[in-house]
Amino acid sequence: MQLLRELSDLQHQHGYLSETTLKQLAQRRRLPLYRLEGLVSFYPQFRRTPPPRVTVRVCRDVTCRMAGCQSGIERLRAALASDSDVEIEPVSCLGRCDHAPALTVNDVPLAPRTLNSGEPLLDDIRRGTDGLADSPPAGRRSWICNPYETEEAWYTTLAGCLSDGDLPGRCIERLQASGLRGMGGAGFPTGRKWDLVRAQPSETKYVICNADESEPGTFKDRVILQELPFLVVEGLLLAGLTVGAESGIVYIRHEYDRERASLEAAIEQARRRGILGADAAGSGRTFDIEVFVSPGGYILGEETAMLEALEDRRGEPRNKPPYPGTCGLYGQPTLINNVETLALATAIIHHGAAWWNAQGRDGFCGLKFVSVSGDVNQPGVHEIPMGLPIDELIERAGGLRGGQRVAAILPGGASSNFLTAEQLQTPLDFESVREAGSMLGTGAVIVIGDQHNLYDLATNLVRFFRNESCGKCVPCRLGTQHAVELLDQVGTGQAPVAALDELNLLGDTLEQTSICGLGQVALNPILTMLQRFPQQRPAASGSESETTS
Amino acid sequence: MTATGSDTATITVDIDGQSVCVAPGTTLWQAAEALGIEIPGLCQSAALEPVGVCRLCVVDVGERTLAASCSRLCEDGQQVRTESADIRSYRRTLIALLLKDHPVPCDRERLLGDCQLERLAREYDVPAEVSSAALPDSRDQSSPVISVEHQACILCDRCIRACNDLQSNNVIGRSGKGHATTIAFDLNQPMGDSTCVSCGECVSACPTGALVPRPIAGSILPADQTTATDTVCPFCGVGCAITVHASDNQILYTEGRDSPVNAGRLCVKGRYGWDYAMHPDRLTRPLIRRSEFYPKQPLSRAVQSSTPGRHRPGGPVDYDEVLPAFREASWEEALNVIAERLTGIREQHGGGALAGFGSAKCSNEEAYLFQKVVRAGFGTNNVDHCTRLCHASSVAALMETIGSGAVTNVFADVSRADVALVTGSNAVANHPVAATFFKQATKSKTQLILVDVRRNELADFATEFAQIRPGTDVAFYNALMHVMISEDLVDSDFIAARTSGYADLRALVLRGYAPESVADICGVTPDQIRRIARLIGTAASTIVFWGMGISQHTTGTDNARCLISLCLLTGNVGRPGTGLHPLRGQNNVQGASDAGLIPMVYPDYQSVADADTRARFEQAWQTTLDPQPGLTVVEIMAAALEGSIRGMYILGENPFISDPNSNKVRRALAALEFLVVQDIFLTETAEFADVILPASSYFEKDGTFTNTDRRVQLGRRVLQSPGDAREDWQILCEIGRRMGVDMPYETVSQVFDEFVGLSDNYRGLSYDNLGPTGKLWPCPDPETQDGTRILFGDRFPTTDGRGAFVACEFQPADELPDDSYPLILNTGRLLEHWHTGTMTRRSSVLHQLAPRAFAALHPQDLERFGCVSGDLIRVSSRRGQIELEAQSDTSIRPGSVFIPFHFREAAANVLTSDALDPYGKIPEFKFCAVAIQKLTPVEPPIADGQPSADDQPSVER
Repeated sequence: MQLLRELSDLQHQHGYLSETTLKQLAQRRRLPLYRLEGLVSFYPQFRRTPPPRVTVRVCRDVTCRMAGCQSGIERLRAALASDSDVEIEPVSCLGRCDHAPALTVNDVPLAPRTLNSGEPLLDDIRRGTDGLADSPPAGRRSWICNPYETEEAWYTTLAGCLSDGDLPGRCIERLQASGLRGMGGAGFPTGRKWDLVRAQPSETKYVICNADESEPGTFKDRVILQELPFLVVEGLLLAGLTVGAESGIVYIRHEYDRERASLEAAIEQARRRGILGADAAGSGRTFDIEVFVSPGGYILGEETAMLEALEDRRGEPRNKPPYPGTCGLYGQPTLINNVETLALATAIIHHGAAWWNAQGRDGFCGLKFVSVSGDVNQPGVHEIPMGLPIDELIERAGGLRGGQRVAAILPGGASSNFLTAEQLQTPLDFESVREAGSMLGTGAVIVIGDQHNLYDLATNLVRFFRNESCGKCVPCRLGTQHAVELLDQVGTGQAPVAALDELNLLGDTLEQTSICGLGQVALNPILTMLQRFPQQRPAASGSESETTS
Repeated sequence: MTATGSDTATITVDIDGQSVCVAPGTTLWQAAEALGIEIPGLCQSAALEPVGVCRLCVVDVGERTLAASCSRLCEDGQQVRTESADIRSYRRTLIALLLKDHPVPCDRERLLGDCQLERLAREYDVPAEVSSAALPDSRDQSSPVISVEHQACILCDRCIRACNDLQSNNVIGRSGKGHATTIAFDLNQPMGDSTCVSCGECVSACPTGALVPRPIAGSILPADQTTATDTVCPFCGVGCAITVHASDNQILYTEGRDSPVNAGRLCVKGRYGWDYAMHPDRLTRPLIRRSEFYPKQPLSRAVQSSTPGRHRPGGPVDYDEVLPAFREASWEEALNVIAERLTGIREQHGGGALAGFGSAKCSNEEAYLFQKVVRAGFGTNNVDHCTRLCHASSVAALMETIGSGAVTNVFADVSRADVALVTGSNAVANHPVAATFFKQATKSKTQLILVDVRRNELADFATEFAQIRPGTDVAFYNALMHVMISEDLVDSDFIAARTSGYADLRALVLRGYAPESVADICGVTPDQIRRIARLIGTAASTIVFWGMGISQHTTGTDNARCLISLCLLTGNVGRPGTGLHPLRGQNNVQGASDAGLIPMVYPDYQSVADADTRARFEQAWQTTLDPQPGLTVVEIMAAALEGSIRGMYILGENPFISDPNSNKVRRALAALEFLVVQDIFLTETAEFADVILPASSYFEKDGTFTNTDRRVQLGRRVLQSPGDAREDWQILCEIGRRMGVDMPYETVSQVFDEFVGLSDNYRGLSYDNLGPTGKLWPCPDPETQDGTRILFGDRFPTTDGRGAFVACEFQPADELPDDSYPLILNTGRLLEHWHTGTMTRRSSVLHQLAPRAFAALHPQDLERFGCVSGDLIRVSSRRGQIELEAQSDTSIRPGSVFIPFHFREAAANVLTSDALDPYGKIPEFKFCAVAIQKLTPVEPPIADGQPSADDQPSVER
């Protein structure tokens, strides 16, 4: 953490990392140069050349592409052609899919404005950061999972557990009874994870909150961090006291600076109240939380890549086993939970499993935060009862915009398989979506209207994984690149459609041999698209395709 | 069922239907290997930690996805399939992806025929897509020894692990992300501009054409088209096992060979520094000095004057300046002249008027024969060699205190030590492969303490680095012992049972060496002294390594005594992870000493003054022997200058450059009545010779060499000698016979057998049982054992069996800086060069990497004397002056200058003092007072042949 923080600080200080800066750092910290090179060239936040006065970053990924980022970028480039001190950089998902096409100016997000917001945008861009008032946060909404009416009531769940006497037992029992599963994508039972880490004999353990959601279409944790940070803090504290850790870390993506501020305010407040620190909340135990800002990259959401980053290395996923629960940060047992998981865990421990089970619809249990984006009138984050059918969710999001009809759904973000319009009654629940041939994942529901070219969007998804591959293992590093080249060639008519058949074996190879989930799922969207929407293959549609970016 | 691992095996796995029992921690790949099941892999290598990135070794373990067998550990009851139609097709897909932009054939396939990717592609029947012929040349050729071709790189990370984990050179890493990832050097510089030290470990690890050797001599051929010879590196005392690939009487390349010494690792000298043997400067005919070149004077300008002037380029002796003084002669004539002249001096003036310098670069057999010729033929014990200049004081202290001059433990045992103290040793430059083990040990359990006047790279791996003032070692170590004794961090049982003289030591160090009294003398803080003392005092095991920074002082013996006391005090001798290890410099300095190239002792350290011993050797050699111990190196030079030594035989040494105070050496060599020099090149010393004999290089003969660990290894012939050059042992026999010495040998192994017969330590060893990686002496049963790693577990080979504490008071160095000569000169070596440069300056790569002499100073001192890095400066001492480039170097302590002594055109030993340690008779190479002065480009060089003297400082101030 120290080294990456120091690099980030130096970058802030100088605007970039010069050879001199890096050599001085290497000498000061007795580090080999190759280590700095490895980090600085891996994390997109770092740059080796002086920055222009204004850097505009525009999301190039699926939701923003549907919202016209491609032509928007071209328009912006034309409008700013004579502004030599403004650089426009297409980047991976900024986590603002509810305001697509999303953009930042000198790292300040412009949401709720979008790339399509018209002329005034240009003035803001030209002014750069100085002239930009950060957009006001949305007012706090009322959330079912929030057990507290007032700020004073925060952390009373913890107090209850402590007075009960067996905090670990109560937490694990309630979580296990609720059947809560990880909301970060993998869906591992939370109670079991806590119990597993608690059972490890090590003296030093860590709990980490994964606040690095970065998959196109996913932005629910952003809202939780903004509006319910105290539930996350309390969840971390409950987890820490349960497993026997003294140190909690929140790993947050650097694009979430507003949310970081909100979270840090909550942490600071908790410290002032004696909830964090030595004798945390009167538990007799030390527990504190530090926030680590990711220097960037989707792969860091993979938990072992995140551990590597926290240990100041390139964020390349580890070979597993061992899993973090037994051998995590610095080789110690480490509990890693997603933002939403920790917030919901607090609610479950507060109310008990019966309350949780009563929250679902039609026999399903619990709640889920979903990010709805794409062709709906009111994209945003919804707290839904588990089991809510997809079409009802679309209704809650204001229905389809522009009179479109649903062509396809990505129910769990960029790595989930496409569902067809015939599957709109599928209940949003881990099992049901899996049975429908996709996955709920993080609950990133991307609604795709019938005006889009699915081949183009699926290619864009593969391109996202290609762009975000860490490059560690051969199948992912070369397989995603090969797939993108092939898809582009077929899309532009340079290769016959039959060439796409190769993708089946390539997809199997990636799934079976890649080190981590990124490579394993990278071709899922394109393969299901080709299978479930045969009429959208290039030959049928005569697709245009963007060139490699 | 097959068993691997050991008796702790508790895990059973089933692989392809065969059951295997393995130890915990065994990978699936290793378990399969034990069953003889081969799994393909490109990133896997036995010497490296697995990374599981190429994914070719995936196997089915019944999980959702396949597992990389190289990194997956076996679990009890696991069912594993290593092959199936699906697995095969996934592997084919991966190979095809790798081959998609891999040039075929890549450079490795083209040069060495062993690209592992292309071989796999053939095995898996995957066609090539990219012809290397169609690709533009994008190679990075900035390194003189390694060609980098990123296009052929598969990012297996083997080079990265070889560079960082094995060699700990920390140069190579990954740069970039995703499909744009490449390997990179430092901050993504061209390899030749990076901090790469050219060890070549990355090339050796690379499975493809990404990193391949560049030709040095001849062209690189696949191993099956060369003659491969298993031998040992000719350079330093580490004695790395190598395989030399040759063809047409030319070495093409060398490879590290697996051995307990180097585990296949090499440094730049061993891997790339061998072409000196094939240099056109090699001597090929005996030479006799022409009559018109008497009286003898030095012949080349660099030898005539200590100050070469700026107009003269560096490099070895200019043959055009020297050869005209000699005529070619037949061997018969040359040998007869030698025998006649040496016999003449012996008869007229007695054997004491003759002396010989043998060589630690020659074999045990050659050393043994050399001392036999001098003792039995010349009739004197005036035989010595360069050990006098490196570890004579260490050996003196070790013999005196624990009764044996050799190391008590092998250097690789550092991995079992809790603490390793490295002091007065720049092992990274001088014992590079040993240093890789030191660095590697710090990554597991070993805490490294570096005590040195210069900061070397080991400091980056050290828990404590104490940059003490030059010449204050005794004070420093006495202070450590003071703390240990006052804080009761000593091993009382060991002291009671195994040592003598503790009371005196205790009294001395407690009296005057409290950290507070010593800190200012040594220039370190009392706190650091305490920290280091506690680190050693509380560690379960400490091993001590030292080099010439300890030994090359007038207090060298005292310095070594202190280190010995430190180990005795803490019970750190005779157990795993403990011991005393003076790192030996030359490849055979241990063996040359073992074989008797020492004026006081016969082979195996048997005193020449002892009548019984002498009788034994007189009987063995059928002669009478001189009972007087002989003179040492520097004493012999002084005696030559005085005229009491009249004739000398110098084999493979170059005292003009290597001995202190060159201006004095020049006069001494010129004063000799008769000098015969036997060498492979015309050295500076040979300019004073009457007869020069063309010898064989290391690669042209068989012989045994004993490394720093006491490991006796066989060096084997690779090349035929050029012209009429002869093997040294045969030349020695010819001279010996002509002087009446019994030389009954038909083969060189018979010489070894005779030596072994007179040496208890070597007992039982023979050419037949040394095996591919040699044996450590003593070796109780060479047929079945590797030899004894750790000595003195029960008793020391002293008369009372105890190790003796010898308490030493701190004494300042002989020549302290003053107003006229305000800086302290420290001399030493560079990674790329060997001693007087005769070999390495004729090795194209080594010369290219380090072509110039320089003086390294701290930037503060440069500023103080009005210089900047790169300026030409004059460095003067009371004995002479040289001119060379100043280099800014923060690793130097302010107030000091470091000058490597390899460069004849700015020979550091012009400046050094020939003051001697009273016990070891070693000169104080590491300390004398000098002044520096910036030279302006227009200033002419000072007049030739005018050494400066005390009363006439030539540097205007």
